[in-house]
Amino acid sequence: MNIEDLVYNAASWLSGAGDADGMVVSCRARLARNLAGWAFAPKTTLEDQKKIIEQVLSAAQKCRPMCDAAFFHMNTLQANQRQLLVERHLISPALAKSKGQRGVLFNADESLGVMINEEDHLRLQAILPGLQTHAAWQRVDALDDALRSELDWAQSERWGFLTACPTNTGTGLRISVLIHLPALVLTEDMERVMRGLTSMAFAVRGFYGEGTNVVGNLFQISNQATLGVTEGEIVEKLSEITQQIISHEKEAQAILLADASAQVEDKVWRAYGILQHARVLSGQDFMNLLSAVRLGCSLGLIDGLPLGFINQLMIVTQPSHLQAEASADLSSADRDVRRAELVRRRWAEQRGLS
Amino acid sequence: MKKCGVCNKREAVVVYNHIVDDVKQTLLLCHQCASEKNIKMLVVPAAQAKEAPVLVKEIKIELAKLAGAEGDGGARCSTCAMSYEEFKKIGRLGCPHCYDAFASQLERLLKRIHGDDRHRGKGPLAAAQSTGAADELERLREELAQAVAEEAFEKAAQLRDRIRVLEGK
Repeated sequence: MNIEDLVYNAASWLSGAGDADGMVVSCRARLARNLAGWAFAPKTTLEDQKKIIEQVLSAAQKCRPMCDAAFFHMNTLQANQRQLLVERHLISPALAKSKGQRGVLFNADESLGVMINEEDHLRLQAILPGLQTHAAWQRVDALDDALRSELDWAQSERWGFLTACPTNTGTGLRISVLIHLPALVLTEDMERVMRGLTSMAFAVRGFYGEGTNVVGNLFQISNQATLGVTEGEIVEKLSEITQQIISHEKEAQAILLADASAQVEDKVWRAYGILQHARVLSGQDFMNLLSAVRLGCSLGLIDGLPLGFINQLMIVTQPSHLQAEASADLSSADRDVRRAELVRRRWAEQRGLS
Repeated sequence: MKKCGVCNKREAVVVYNHIVDDVKQTLLLCHQCASEKNIKMLVVPAAQAKEAPVLVKEIKIELAKLAGAEGDGGARCSTCAMSYEEFKKIGRLGCPHCYDAFASQLERLLKRIHGDDRHRGKGPLAAAQSTGAADELERLREELAQAVAEEAFEKAAQLRDRIRVLEGK
């Protein structure tokens, strides 16, 4: 597979399924695993890393969920190609930046992936659309079972799965939801929600996870504790908390509509118009406008615009996607023009469909 | 004490932001007036509130603090040769055996990070289902996802039942 072809591939987690309220874009479950008998990433030699990749690949070929997966070695990828994988949430920004023998495996619909030689030897992930935390856990659990029948994990009875960083020790499970909370941001209640989440040992992060900014009112919420709790409890707790946040967001949306319906409708429809007609769109601009349109869908103001279309647009307008589609390095100014063009074109196609 | 903006008697504990004529107003309310106005708020139930967790970026600070109290006496892992000092600097362990080499220090650190120091999750392979069942489960789950996507709910229900049987629920 040619990596640039990914641009035309619709990742299944963007389909908008399982997102009844138009708020939870996706959920992701990831497991940190290390091979027994090898040093962790900070102490591995290039030779070790090479052998680890070989072992993982040979195990993956024998395991059903991964047998059709594509593998990309980081050494064979240009900076823009790596960034493309980051934008599709297939690798972490850290993996894209690091040198050495590293790679990623993912299946055709991009719902299952394995990063090799990131902070841990393996980072397994399952991403599904909407609030399907339980299903995401089950998929990554099944992948873990399939892989560990071929590979020997580093683990202890007392501390469970042993990871390079003690923040992942135990289950090694980090489960997160990508959630759109425009009304809580507008009513300035988000700070309070974030404080509440932190005190319950849940983390709030930006669009691409750890250390990234919040764009377009999209937040990533995940568990912090991985030890002393079962995987089922972690999943259950995150679903419960997400439900609570959804109801807070709904209340905030109701308040906005009651107090300022004209202003809210104006914001939504202006964004709807600008996106279809603008000639220059910066990344930040675009994400904010798209957030207003998504809010319009949540509120039922905009009808017939599929969430899958909105989600897909959010990814294909990212810088490396634009560059891959243009097959050229583009300046920031060029990208803003290309972005506006792409949005207009996709929107016209969408109108043709509906 | 700030007084409630409605009754002007009790202590204000709820911040209520709303928009009037395009201008944002902030109202401070007491519990009672807030509930009369049917304003719900995000309160963390006391039972759920724990000590704030250690974030990854705070790990190094936490390590330095703990190390001071520990007196690690130059502990070193005999397998990968990582010293506790080095772990404190980079915040990452060198190999699985480091967990034994630094057991006493890690016990406290893990407790501080997770609020617990004993694994209660998934066990070793021997205790898990045979791979045959795991493969079957994976196949059924894929079929289930497909059935849901196609809105074939009757088929989905059947698949779900078979999955439950296999999961031993």
